[in-house]
Amino acid sequence: MARDRFIPEIHVWRLLVAWLAMLACFGALSFRLWNLQVAQATEYQRRLAKQSLRSVRLPGLRGRILDRNGERLADNRPSYCVSLYLEELRQSGGIQRTVDNVMDSLYRLAETMDRPLQMTPKDVRLHLGRRTPLPLVAWRDLDETAVARFMERAADFPGVALTVEPVRVYPQGQTACHLLGYVGRADEKALPDVGDDDEPEKYHYYLPEMAGKSGVEKRLDGVLRANAGGKLEIQVDVAGFKFDEVSSRAPGKGSDVTLALDVRIQRAAEAVLAGERGAVVVIDPRNGDVLALASEPGFDPNDFVPAIPAKIWNGLLKDAARPLYNRATGGEYAPGSTFKPVTLLAALHSGQIAADTRFTCPGYFQLGSARFRCWQHWGHGSIDLQSAIRYSCNVYLFHAALECGPEAVQAMARSVGFGRETGISLDFERPGLVPDNAWKRQARRDGWRDGDTCNMAIGQGALLVTPIQMGLYVAALANGGTLWKPRLVERIDSANAVVNEIAAEPAPEGPQWVERHIRTIRAGMRDAVNEPDGSGKRAKLQDVVVAAKTGTAEYGVKGSGRKMTWMIAFAPFEDPRYAVALLVEDGVSGGTTAAPRVKQLLTQVFNEVEGRSLPLPPPLQAVPDPVPSAPAPEEEPA
Amino acid sequence: MKKRMQTGWRLFWAQDWLAILAATALLVIGLSFIYSASWRGEDTGIVGAWFSKQIWWALLGAATATALAATDYKFWLRYGWWLYFASLALLALVFVPGIGKKVYGAYRWMVIFGVPVQPSEFAKVTTVLVLARVLSSPLIQRRSFGTVLLALGLMALPFGLILKEPDLGTAAVLVPTTVIMLFAAGAAFRYLFGLGMLGLGAVAAALSPLGRFMLGEYQRERILTFLDPSRDPLGSGWNALQSAIAVGSGGWSGKGFLNGTQNVLGFLPRTVAPTDFIFPVIAEETGFIGASALLLVFAFLLTCYLRTAWTAKDPAGSLLATGIAGLLFCHVFVNVGMTIGLLPITGLPLPFVSSGGSFMVSTLAGFGLVQSVHVRRMRREV
Repeated sequence: MARDRFIPEIHVWRLLVAWLAMLACFGALSFRLWNLQVAQATEYQRRLAKQSLRSVRLPGLRGRILDRNGERLADNRPSYCVSLYLEELRQSGGIQRTVDNVMDSLYRLAETMDRPLQMTPKDVRLHLGRRTPLPLVAWRDLDETAVARFMERAADFPGVALTVEPVRVYPQGQTACHLLGYVGRADEKALPDVGDDDEPEKYHYYLPEMAGKSGVEKRLDGVLRANAGGKLEIQVDVAGFKFDEVSSRAPGKGSDVTLALDVRIQRAAEAVLAGERGAVVVIDPRNGDVLALASEPGFDPNDFVPAIPAKIWNGLLKDAARPLYNRATGGEYAPGSTFKPVTLLAALHSGQIAADTRFTCPGYFQLGSARFRCWQHWGHGSIDLQSAIRYSCNVYLFHAALECGPEAVQAMARSVGFGRETGISLDFERPGLVPDNAWKRQARRDGWRDGDTCNMAIGQGALLVTPIQMGLYVAALANGGTLWKPRLVERIDSANAVVNEIAAEPAPEGPQWVERHIRTIRAGMRDAVNEPDGSGKRAKLQDVVVAAKTGTAEYGVKGSGRKMTWMIAFAPFEDPRYAVALLVEDGVSGGTTAAPRVKQLLTQVFNEVEGRSLPLPPPLQAVPDPVPSAPAPEEEPA
Repeated sequence: MKKRMQTGWRLFWAQDWLAILAATALLVIGLSFIYSASWRGEDTGIVGAWFSKQIWWALLGAATATALAATDYKFWLRYGWWLYFASLALLALVFVPGIGKKVYGAYRWMVIFGVPVQPSEFAKVTTVLVLARVLSSPLIQRRSFGTVLLALGLMALPFGLILKEPDLGTAAVLVPTTVIMLFAAGAAFRYLFGLGMLGLGAVAAALSPLGRFMLGEYQRERILTFLDPSRDPLGSGWNALQSAIAVGSGGWSGKGFLNGTQNVLGFLPRTVAPTDFIFPVIAEETGFIGASALLLVFAFLLTCYLRTAWTAKDPAGSLLATGIAGLLFCHVFVNVGMTIGLLPITGLPLPFVSSGGSFMVSTLAGFGLVQSVHVRRMRREV
């Protein structure tokens, strides 16, 4: 028995009880530890992450916009910034001491780089309060001199570093500005969610990110913007300063968008409109490619990066010529005589007249008590359909329209795409208007009359079209009857090399033309340019056969003499590759204002794109200010 | 001469080597995680003064332990009263302006030759010494109520002075230690039971509005936030919450040495991470496996102490070892308990592990005393 080996005063069982009690207490500690570290580990890990991790959304690199030949229309350039890392500049003992230290660095930096100070202590304090773990970007977009000055003495500035941000740039300046659009600061709440899992990702901080605000930049924003922006996880300390960058998903690169546009044609199109208000659309009649889509006057989208100064913005808004407005897709104009092929095709299609049907033009057309004048006051005499186009005779058209009836003309107008949006990939488009009985009853509280039919026959009255509709319509005339859906985007190259080719597709509900009808119309348009007495003779080229139709549409108050001057043209006649619709607001007439501009444009297109050496036409003359005394080419109904 | 040499060697070999192993392991763990808790990342290279100071204190403590183990504990028991009153005097001196040092509103420190010292740490050991002497005295009736009162009275003097500093945690440790010693000494159950009831009543009273007169406002606040940490998450509940997050986020196997974030990022305040909150640092970096292994080492060391109490040559030695074991147990239980939300935050360090000079020396002094009892234990042979 061991007991007698030990002194009796020591109660062994009491020691044993004490020992077991202590072990039991330790057991309780272990149980609690198990509870915390094993059972509830995930919950505590979540709480740890919540208090010490901050996620930052990094903007992706915006995709480029290229023309069909790879010319850059929108790109990114590096912008050099000086950033202050606050966790390295922080001072203990109150936020004011840190603010003072940051301001001290800023003063010295301003002096070193010879740049004005752009931050106030209030800005610094605000940044310290709201965006503590993020670097404070003190200067953006520094020039080479400032960067060099900083780099020389960078060692004197601990916690300050040169950082690079991508900045949107439009290398072509104003060219295609309406089409491309511009970017602006993205709304953080509207940022696309990142589809990692079911629940959308939320970020603590967002860095300045650009979003398309108009044009292709807006319409294809989701494609151009990297679909998943980067994610940076910052580990912050208890005061909120950055301790470490934990894990990050590198920001993606947006897809490059290649447009069907040819920047050479676009430039030529803008050049012929220089100084005027107007629009040019150039379509490839073979596939509906939008080769040029110009609207003048324009703006410089580079002004919008990173934010447009209020002065420039207000100037753009107040300009009476409305430079922000894309006339090519959003402008609605009466087509004037350029509409005549529609009327004639409708009449031919109805079978009421044939190509050899002749009408006599005495210079006017008597409809009841109203007299509709032909623009040639002494008349065209007895002419056939082809000559009616060549001379743009109004009286022939009145007869033709009345023969087939307004419904046939309206149906034909709709079949060439008038009265509805073309579906071009742009943010701003108007449908135009094809007036009919129902419309007139609703809008004018009056029935459709023969006078309305006569006005519509020559593209006047309430009829409204957009230049893009006209471009597609003339392309259909050129290719013999295929109305294309405009193809603005040729393909999309995503960063992971999946190329998305966008095929040409015809518009739904296109026209159904009989071949001999369209042949006659085309012949008339050829004659209008190539015959010495044709209405569009000023568009004649030396070696290339151009077919065209002019148009002069009076608008505004009756007798004001304000006219929309049009020309629609295609070339070469036998194998059309370019279909042009050109509009000049407040021109003199289609033949004198639009035709020379089309000639200039086509000359440049054939010379620059196809390598021809056509003689350059004389310089264009500016359109004189509208003169009210100019004779009205078409009469309004009495 | 030769004989004395032989005695020396015998003493050496009679050491409780398992206890030494356990204590050494705890010291190494402590030093490692003080290093981790004061580490500020590779680029800074700052480890802080904590680590190097702790090495010196550990060495000083080890020297003290060696000296105490080599000396017969009866010598210390004989001078137990002197040591007891000396430590009471030191406890009183911290309130004397010019000698005591006020830190965070508490008079716990006095500076001796430029070294800050906590007299309360030594008072704990001397109280155990004097209790061991009194309770083993043949002059007293161990089962009598008078003995219980005497022991409580001897404990109450340092308890009151320490509570006055104020240092609730350290003071509170004395109560269960005394009870454990009374229990081991053979006190009657009815008195111990009554004592337990009284203790519960005191805690309840302290929490009641009446408690304003008994405890400082911040002590009351600590106990109340313990009962509901979300009461004031950035105030006194902060440490409890951050400590629980550190421990809980460690998970099963921890984040790895130096990989804990709660102390590096300052959520566990840098001033307390190496001291009172070293356990969450360990638990975060080594997980449940490491934390429970640490508890096992403590349990092992406690077992060694109680084995010494069992094998002691006389009741005084046995009670001394039991008392030191009680101190160790209370410290570990209260410290770990408060960091994992089982007990209110009281500001008590973890023996052998936490940073702190006086505490390290007093812990190792206690260890040396137990060794002194152990080497002079009852022998089965001889």
